[in-house]
Amino acid sequence: MTGAELVVKLLTEHGVHSVFGYPGGAIMPIYDALYQSPVKHYLCRHEQGGGFSAIGYARASGQTGVCLATSGPGATNLITALADALLDSVPVVAITGQVSQAVAGTDAFQEVDVLGLSLTCTKHSFYVRDVADLADTLREAFALAQSGRPGPVLVDIPKDVQLAQVDYQPLHLTATTAAPDCSGLATQIAAARTLLQQAKKPMAYIGGGVHMADALPELNAFLAATGMPSVTTLKAMGSVEKTNPLYLGMLGMHGTQAANLAVQQTDLLVCLGARFDDRVTGNLKKFAPEAKVIHIDIDPAEINKLRFAEVAMLGDLKALLPAMTASGNYADWQTHCAMLKAQHGWRYDHPGERIYAPLLLKQLSERMPDNSVVSCDVGQHQMWVAQHMRFNSPRNHLSSGGLGTMGFGLPAAIGAKISRPQDTSVLVTGDGSFMMNVQELATIKRFRLPVKIIVIDNQRLGMVKQWQQLFFAGRYSETDLSDNPDFVSLAAAFAIPGHSISHKDEVESALDAMFSWPGPYLLHVRIDETDNVWPLVPPGAANHDMMTDLPQWEE
Amino acid sequence: MSAQHTLTIQTRHEAVAVERLLQVTRYRGFTLAGLELKPLADVSGLLITLSVVSDKPISLLVNQLNKLYDVLNLELHQAEAGALRA
Repeated sequence: MTGAELVVKLLTEHGVHSVFGYPGGAIMPIYDALYQSPVKHYLCRHEQGGGFSAIGYARASGQTGVCLATSGPGATNLITALADALLDSVPVVAITGQVSQAVAGTDAFQEVDVLGLSLTCTKHSFYVRDVADLADTLREAFALAQSGRPGPVLVDIPKDVQLAQVDYQPLHLTATTAAPDCSGLATQIAAARTLLQQAKKPMAYIGGGVHMADALPELNAFLAATGMPSVTTLKAMGSVEKTNPLYLGMLGMHGTQAANLAVQQTDLLVCLGARFDDRVTGNLKKFAPEAKVIHIDIDPAEINKLRFAEVAMLGDLKALLPAMTASGNYADWQTHCAMLKAQHGWRYDHPGERIYAPLLLKQLSERMPDNSVVSCDVGQHQMWVAQHMRFNSPRNHLSSGGLGTMGFGLPAAIGAKISRPQDTSVLVTGDGSFMMNVQELATIKRFRLPVKIIVIDNQRLGMVKQWQQLFFAGRYSETDLSDNPDFVSLAAAFAIPGHSISHKDEVESALDAMFSWPGPYLLHVRIDETDNVWPLVPPGAANHDMMTDLPQWEE
Repeated sequence: MSAQHTLTIQTRHEAVAVERLLQVTRYRGFTLAGLELKPLADVSGLLITLSVVSDKPISLLVNQLNKLYDVLNLELHQAEAGALRA
């Protein structure tokens, strides 16, 4: 077989049924091998869309997402998606075609140094010189993408390698599923248990590493056994069972008041698969100032990177959480945290007839099917989704966290729908973000994907405008989008029906109409451009110094 | 206060390994103070001596370099290894 046929063979060997991409000159042999193959190719309308669809596929399913692109501009268009996958630890394998080695390094047509470009935004990038190395390289790429802290891996394959003849050698693996082992961490586990027993005000700070370690049952058992209150990062939302009364929500720049205030008061911060990101900590020197830290992670580079940990453990949360379970007397602290949660609850009694986005999203959260996976974009709507929607799994909330990439949502929702065809895929996007990968409506049209799209439209780049209002003296530089297209007409051009609403009494019937429609649907929601996201921790401030503009924060 | 550190690194015999070492060194905020490299005697890899200067703890760079696919072994010079553990 050819190298290109071997690529497809290895995709099937790894259980890959769906890939996302865009063909071009240097990857034509692989596209020829895909033709009538068992691997389903989803033609996206921009390689970045293909990359984000692969991310959505991976995040919604836990499987590795695969995207394809040709050399030169095809590959460079993947770079943003690769960076997004790296920052959010998403297993993705990107396969790029490259010019033949006979002309490599000559500035040939559509030649660019993809290996060099991609190194800083992947776990690793491979360039395949010899077709004899192709199978091992691809197998290594898949293993690397999923191992340890997951992430993207790129394999750049010159056209001559794709066309060369090679034999397929099946991989003979003995199935070995080793149980997670934490026997080498006995000293640290004992130290952690001692800290848990001594603490008066412990707090679990939960990151995306927990569900990526498949440790959600162990997490919830740990929380139940210890009685410890908890907060989550953006990426970990949905990790804590909805019935847990001591879950305080997301912490950080736009976290809940209860979460931020409690974390600032804790005497023991138990950091589980999180990384003390600056959007979480605010002023790092003032973050959880009274707390000792237990930090568990799979990535050694995260330990002591930003915050010293009194007890640090490198390992599998699935084994470590049961092993370190211990409890003290937290009754007063539990009462205090419950009081903070009650005192700082959200209010939705917004005056007037216009649509208040937080209430709309609460209504959406209550009306959407339990199996829904919600993708969102980046900006004010993203933070409102995090604040006002509840999820029963982190795999049901896809949000570009680390890189914060506008344009993420629509292709991610496509990938989510393809990975979980029986479940409902909902996109919540903003008018700015939606336009960044709007061409992917054509992908929805082509494959008749029943993605439910909600465009929250304030005719502004809302989050930037909010910061201009607060920190740049109201100088609204380039954030006016009042010349937006008619989004319902735009959707109609892709055979997607839609509806536009602007009054709050229209919301419930509009949501019902959207969910009852069997195919894709776009709901355009006009909101006021003066609505902002609160609370907000200003740059340089400690997390307890939140700006809380609206009366929703007062009882 | 800035301090100089020297690392001895064994990598796969790939030019990209050197690119990656230098990228990570720059990106993580360490200044290059010296670089020597030569193939191992059996040409199975590269032996690289990397000297850097920074006011950041050297452990931050060591941990990032140790994650690189092409890095097979990394040693901080002995006098500094004690300081790293402290």
